[in-house]
Amino acid sequence: MTDGRAPPPGPGLGVIGRRQPRLDGFDKVSGRSVFADDIELPGMLHGRILRSPHARARIVRLDTTKARALPGVKAVVTNGDAPDLVFSERQPLLAKGFVHYVGEEVAAVAATDPFIADEALRLIEVEYEPLPAVTSLRRALQPDAPLVHEWAAGNVAVTHDRDFGDPDAAFAESDLVITDEFRSPVQHNTLAEFHVAIADFSNPDKLHVWTPTQSAPMYQMALAKAFGLESSQVRIVYGNVGGAFTGRGRAKPHHFVAALLSRVAARPVKIKATADEEFIMFRGSGETLYRFRTGVTRDGRIRALELDVTFDAGAHAEWAMILWLPALYPNWLYRFEGLRYRGRFVYTNTVPKGSNHGGIMGRMSAGWMQHLTRVAEELGLDPAEFHRRNAIEAGDHARDGSDFGSCGLKECIDRVVERSGWQVKYGRLPPYRGIGIGIGAQASGGKNASNDTSAAMVKIADDGRVTLFTGIPDLGQGSWTVMAMIAAEVLGIEPADVNVVGGDSDIVPFDWGAFSQRGTFMTGNAVKVAAEDARAQLASVAAAALGVQAEDLVFAGGRVHIRGEAPDAPGRSLSFREAVAKAFHGGEGRYVMGRGFFNSPRQSGSMAFSFGAQVAEVEVDPESGAVRVLKVTVAHDLGRALNPLAVEGQLDGQVFSGLSQVLYEECRMDAGQVLNPSRLEYKLPRTWELPEVDYTLVETIDPYGPFGAKEVGEGPIVVTMSAVAAAVANALGEPLPQMPMTPWRLLRVIRHHRRRRARGAPGAAPR
Amino acid sequence: MDAKRETPPAGRSRVLRLVVNGDLHEVLVTPRHTLLDVIRGELGLKGTKEGCTTGSCGVCTVHNDRGEAILSCLTPALEWDGESITTIEGLESGGRLAPIQQAFVEHHAVQCGYCTPGVIMSAQAILNATPEPAEADINDGLAGVICRCTGHIKVKEAVRNAWRYAGGAGPAPGGSHD
Amino acid sequence: MLLPDHEFLKPASLAEGLALLAAGPGARVLAGGTDVVFNMRGRLFTPPAVVSVRSLPELQGLHERPDGSLDIGAGCRLTDLLADPLLARHPALRTALRAVASRHVRNLATLGGNLCLDTRCWFTNQSEDWRAARGPCLKTGIDACHALHGSPVCVALNNADTPPALIALGATVTLASVRGERQVALRDFYRDDGIDHTVRQPDELLTRVIVPPTTDRVVFLKETARQGMDFAYGTIAARADGHGARAGRITLVLGSLTTAPVVLDAITTRLVADGLGDDAIDAACAGLRAALGPLTNLYSPAAYKRELARTLLRRALLALREM
Repeated sequence: MTDGRAPPPGPGLGVIGRRQPRLDGFDKVSGRSVFADDIELPGMLHGRILRSPHARARIVRLDTTKARALPGVKAVVTNGDAPDLVFSERQPLLAKGFVHYVGEEVAAVAATDPFIADEALRLIEVEYEPLPAVTSLRRALQPDAPLVHEWAAGNVAVTHDRDFGDPDAAFAESDLVITDEFRSPVQHNTLAEFHVAIADFSNPDKLHVWTPTQSAPMYQMALAKAFGLESSQVRIVYGNVGGAFTGRGRAKPHHFVAALLSRVAARPVKIKATADEEFIMFRGSGETLYRFRTGVTRDGRIRALELDVTFDAGAHAEWAMILWLPALYPNWLYRFEGLRYRGRFVYTNTVPKGSNHGGIMGRMSAGWMQHLTRVAEELGLDPAEFHRRNAIEAGDHARDGSDFGSCGLKECIDRVVERSGWQVKYGRLPPYRGIGIGIGAQASGGKNASNDTSAAMVKIADDGRVTLFTGIPDLGQGSWTVMAMIAAEVLGIEPADVNVVGGDSDIVPFDWGAFSQRGTFMTGNAVKVAAEDARAQLASVAAAALGVQAEDLVFAGGRVHIRGEAPDAPGRSLSFREAVAKAFHGGEGRYVMGRGFFNSPRQSGSMAFSFGAQVAEVEVDPESGAVRVLKVTVAHDLGRALNPLAVEGQLDGQVFSGLSQVLYEECRMDAGQVLNPSRLEYKLPRTWELPEVDYTLVETIDPYGPFGAKEVGEGPIVVTMSAVAAAVANALGEPLPQMPMTPWRLLRVIRHHRRRRARGAPGAAPR
Repeated sequence: MDAKRETPPAGRSRVLRLVVNGDLHEVLVTPRHTLLDVIRGELGLKGTKEGCTTGSCGVCTVHNDRGEAILSCLTPALEWDGESITTIEGLESGGRLAPIQQAFVEHHAVQCGYCTPGVIMSAQAILNATPEPAEADINDGLAGVICRCTGHIKVKEAVRNAWRYAGGAGPAPGGSHD
Repeated sequence: MLLPDHEFLKPASLAEGLALLAAGPGARVLAGGTDVVFNMRGRLFTPPAVVSVRSLPELQGLHERPDGSLDIGAGCRLTDLLADPLLARHPALRTALRAVASRHVRNLATLGGNLCLDTRCWFTNQSEDWRAARGPCLKTGIDACHALHGSPVCVALNNADTPPALIALGATVTLASVRGERQVALRDFYRDDGIDHTVRQPDELLTRVIVPPTTDRVVFLKETARQGMDFAYGTIAARADGHGARAGRITLVLGSLTTAPVVLDAITTRLVADGLGDDAIDAACAGLRAALGPLTNLYSPAAYKRELARTLLRRALLALREM
């Protein structure tokens, strides 16, 4: 840990721990980086999708005759062109007789230029018979609600119920039981790069797709299944990815539609979202209702927890896999006797939902940490002390089976308490100033399928330059730079000497991708193994040349030398390049290629978890309801900061995005439609609203992480959301039942206070 | 999407004379083309990105002849007949990055990079107007762009420190930060 | 959201421009383009022709007239006005100009364009596909309002930042057409109709803005979700002569709350009589509900707008008292 800035490189480390600017920086700042939308293929057509204007309707008539007749139109597709093509769950790719949400794909066209495609779309005639629709979560849960799908009674798509320990007994033994409710809105990922896909399916044996993704294998599998191919027959090219924030985890309808259009036209087809289509394609978070119940002892020990979570899935439960996550989450933070989780996905006639930055844990924590803060305060305990008293520690074995090889949770709490001035501020701030603390944990990858594999290859040219092949997408987080650093550290060379090749599934070895915070941990380990494999091959050659055992050699500073001797000892050491030359140009003609893969040895769950604590300070304007976040103090246990510069970038972005989600972001829904489908009206703060941020990196050196590293990609935002929400609640003197905490929602609470005070009633007065 | 060609109605096409990064171009465009469509579609300068196309995200930012930031998505191409603009490709000279570009690399003000050309053009415009910008100048000059990756924090740091990279080789990689 | 087909016309002189506006029914005036291009992309309107007036020489320039008033070309960019030393005498106007959108937008947008900014409604200012889902409304064709059910007129918001400030300053605008020129006080320029929201006729062009000299105290406040690149939840421009709590003449203009800027006359009369004491300010705020009439839930809830209006009024009056 440090004063908030870079820790020095670890002992014996040359590259790891260095503030390394990203290796693709030159291309990105100069406009040279090519994104999918920048690609023009010979003969490429432009596709557009015709979407349903109704939340629920029967398609009475669909006539594409005029569109097909327009000069320049090369393909028009409807469900009739692919009647058996199921996109997800039971969802046909193009509407089959009925539509179930506003924006559902009904037909598509491909034409020689965007203007013609746009014109062709207008020429498709569709007649609908509107049907009663369910466009809100609350309505969907009412007993008399129409059914979104006749097979789903009560509109419940999926449930996941799980108990750990004996929650009933644990609640019964509690001295105090408190319940709170919370609600989070529909939220959008707001990716800088809009949804875009170019598909070339001219050859029926090979489908090429240029598109940003978090997981090429997921896209390959989904597209292969839909089109009757093997995964390897689908090539995903994903060089530069313009942000992801959970929005590019699964292939979306436009990928399939582009492929279908390309198959029909036998030419490459590009589909790019328009500004308002971004709010149909997005698969961000759905509205979610939470009920939290906690049982504690008088001395502030958590005995029992209950989480009841109801998600709006939209018209199709594409993302039901997130349902089980909240059941596990408390296991990674607190010691307790019993936990009850009840989760359900509910259908509505709205666009299918998924997740956004911070995932379900972030949204839930914005409510749950307010609730736990209230629990602490009802006990007369400082919430920081309450979290600390119940926090898990390294060596704990959690009820969900998780083990914690490293855990700096308590240290994170101590650091933020100290650096934020918590002791002098908590409970002592002037009215409408608030301070809140949140804690969080995040898994570094997790084995949910048969494996959680990442693989990597390293080749070393005879000039000593190294090429690293990795499937991890660089979404902006800087994975390619960190992977180059890992390979460079192992081989004792500079990151700039490592050329990272990624972003093409035909070339790179398997990697599940950049989601579930698995990149640094899983891919990092794979790269380390591959580089070590290459190093071992070089070491055997160098050892023979120097007349020592391979184990006696050290690779550092661009040289191979004998342990304990000077790195440049004449006749007793080699430059890295000389070692490579000896291998290739020596009699053996050995070309060095290292390979490696990494998979969790666990049956399920994660090998490592990051932990964090944050304190936020806010100021509420009681007359306008506006909130200003003054300062966020961050401490995050990330195992080891491989590249502190990139780590800071991750923390910055997550603090920003976290406060943005808690205070600003919301798709305003009305009758199944997003009222604010634009970068203007879907509010994110900008430059003026940035708080002061103070970081402490807590390095616990995880036993399994590459050089001890754990994730830092999504853990911090969960904690920011907790801390900011708790701080606003502190400023107002009561928990806020809903986010985002907009001026009007805060004014409503403040008005309520005033009325109560005016009546002389006791009540939540701001401290 | 980049509106590249227009078929009907013919007759509305006109020759646009536009100087981009010092080079004169004559291209046939229609009233339907925005300046952005011409930059990306007709001239193939893909450094300038297309985002919301409605003026809110700033990724399409280029400079007018006064070095001011403008949104190329919100202005018809024919408005710019006879004028001169600069895109991200015009910021460097002879393959050498401008100080602001170098600052973005060194200060990690770049993550996914999609908004980066627009953000850098916005940042350069701030420096054009105020070589030693105050905090308010930076906030005002960058409020027209959105960057969820960086949360604008290191972007502002890069703008404040751009002067360090002017004139000669910049500090060693990772050497300088405030 | 591509631009729809249209004829792009760029006249070289005002006379030529006015002739084009008179000749083509439905021709749309394009100045900075930041509002018109945005709305055309969404096909909110698809004019047969667009008349670009940005470069017309008659719409340029800012100068002081002999009576001390400022004569501002409607084609002046907001950026140029902010940089002009003559504007220094109107700090509240500068605040309003700086509050408009972002620097990127102000580098294109003109003063005339901001004064004529189309009204906004989130059921209408959407893409064509989006509107198809909701069905048409008063503004797009039939007798229905999605924002205020049963409303006989369009209730879209006037969300421009400069009108309240310029109304408070007593500005007048020049409207020119082939039929001649007329001067209209800016406070009479706006109409309570989200469709025909100004008195400008289709063949008229707003050419100049005249701001009379004043030594009065003037403030402008804007409340919004974020400080940069955002339309207001509410604005106020307030002006008074005199000093401290005493004022013989007060002008109060609220913006972004309704279809047109609201000039608060009745409240002002009482404040002049009572002065800017705490009780009088409280009374003024209490009287706001009647003065504002019904508000919609467009972009922010009506109840919030009502409370925000009170906050803006209180803050503006307190600020005037301190000046």
